[in-house]
Amino acid sequence: MTEVQDHDPATFDDRDRHFADHTAFRTDLAVSLGPLRLANPVMPASGCFGPELAALLPVHELGALVTKTLFSQRRSGNPSHRLTESAQGMLNSVGIPSPGSAEFIRTVLPRYRSFGVPVVVSVGGLAPDEYLRITEELADAPCEALEVNVSCPNLEHGGLTIGTDASTVERVVSGVVARTPLPVIVKLTPNVTSIGDIARASEQAGATAVTVANTFPGMAIDLNGRSAVLGNGVGGLSGPAVRPMVLRLVWQAASAVAIPVIGCGGISTARDVLEFVLAGATAVQMGTATFTRPYAMTQVLRDLEALCRELGITRLADERGTVRT
Amino acid sequence: MSTLDTDAVIPVTDSVTPLPGSGTDRPAATWHRAPVLASTPHGRGHHFLRLEAPSIARTCQAGQFVMLTAARDDDTGPVLPRPMAVYARNPQAGTIDILLGVVGDGTRRLASFRPGERMLVVGPLGQGFRIARGTRRVLLVGRGIGTCSLTTVAQECAGTGVEIVAVASGRSADRVVGADVYRAAGVTRLHEVTDDSGSSEVTRLRDMLTADLDQAPPQQIMTCGSERLARLCEELGRRWAADVQVSLEAHMACGLGYCHGCATGTRSGPEESPLICADGPVFRLAHPDAGR
Repeated sequence: MTEVQDHDPATFDDRDRHFADHTAFRTDLAVSLGPLRLANPVMPASGCFGPELAALLPVHELGALVTKTLFSQRRSGNPSHRLTESAQGMLNSVGIPSPGSAEFIRTVLPRYRSFGVPVVVSVGGLAPDEYLRITEELADAPCEALEVNVSCPNLEHGGLTIGTDASTVERVVSGVVARTPLPVIVKLTPNVTSIGDIARASEQAGATAVTVANTFPGMAIDLNGRSAVLGNGVGGLSGPAVRPMVLRLVWQAASAVAIPVIGCGGISTARDVLEFVLAGATAVQMGTATFTRPYAMTQVLRDLEALCRELGITRLADERGTVRT
Repeated sequence: MSTLDTDAVIPVTDSVTPLPGSGTDRPAATWHRAPVLASTPHGRGHHFLRLEAPSIARTCQAGQFVMLTAARDDDTGPVLPRPMAVYARNPQAGTIDILLGVVGDGTRRLASFRPGERMLVVGPLGQGFRIARGTRRVLLVGRGIGTCSLTTVAQECAGTGVEIVAVASGRSADRVVGADVYRAAGVTRLHEVTDDSGSSEVTRLRDMLTADLDQAPPQQIMTCGSERLARLCEELGRRWAADVQVSLEAHMACGLGYCHGCATGTRSGPEESPLICADGPVFRLAHPDAGR
């Protein structure tokens, strides 16, 4: 580590030092998601990143970018309060406000593209047909992959989460795959009896990879007001609190399918990343950790390089799924 | 804009709109792992922090805020940073001051930082108060820790010829904040009012302010920390045809606008309501008769 000198401390701050402290990575951190090759396995979780972060971390160093879930139509999201804290985690009920596909393609996507790393567009819908429509609307949009967020309620079936039913997942994913030449990643909900079954349904439908997992349902109560804290009543739990549960799900999903698994849930350190890789993850997504420290993803990348050297790992991909159980 | 844990949340109303041009002419946000220079209890239930954060101290605009991470060093939690108004800034010394209400786990942890430790601070963030060209007099009306959003307006106006009349309200004298910064900034008049003495009561406050300012009313009124006082400011704004700006507070995760966690709306509509972190925290408390 080189101490940066010769700078006026008034104009050279910790952010600048983080940007400058870019070690030439000696460990091979490259990973592949089917045809999609990433320089490293670290990317943001959908909804936990925006181009607004450009000034706070060297975004171009990330393996990929993932957008907030896009719906075909404009959506306003849930009423306030939309988030609250819990032990080692947070609950959110943001409710996926969305600019709609036309506005997204015109104004939002170009900002994601400007970083020069692969862009994964997360897509959602409130009925199976809506996933197909948004996929068609993105036909000419410049991006490298789609991530299908199947944790949305299916309004055709009383709001049952689409991702909890293997046949519905297969129907949605095969429809999306038929309508795009891009790799299709399926982001699974953790609220299922067998994550392996849903992962297999995704694989059979032609998915390139699965992301494991979305948030866990939770609730917070304000005793003073005797009311639910979140405007939506309930929300999704994320952060370090869910990490052991997601680690297990990643291990189970990776045992069930041959396609790559992207681990997502409470990852905030390089050690966490390596644990997920040992459990079977090819790549990882980070969300809540970016709220705690905006530079968390690129710090993890620096620490991961150091950790791999410390452990004698020369090629990260070789470590995937090597956990002894 | 004050703490995540505060009990003085202002319910957001339909009369709040982003300031014209909100989002333009803002300094770029950065972050410091800022050395804590001072950390001392202040009054009842408040805590004072002085942080060495040169870039933020240099560029922060009046009414902007920072996010303070309560997790130390490599700790993973608490996961959410706390949005805090910059109470005072000293560009020459490269420091910012934060006065926080110690009310929950996060603020207790922030108050437990000792001089010499480093605290992650991200900022400056959000839309601050806008002091219009041609404004000769500004009325600042703050309640409790909410006053901390207004003090930098007085700092910014110091030496410019803009006259500041400030009201600092609190439940009791030891819960009134801001007097030190206001005095150092040379405000024209400071009215410290309390519930204990009855002087903070809205009717008395209205009488006091109209007696004080009817002859030479302010062109702008800025407020934070109380819905009752915001309503009073709205009324006074109509009386004096003055522009009224209010700083709101909310639970936040990102502080930059990408997480959409702090939308103002208490009900869903077809359009997402403004985000307190990015469109605010300072909004216009607009009224049709407000004189423009």
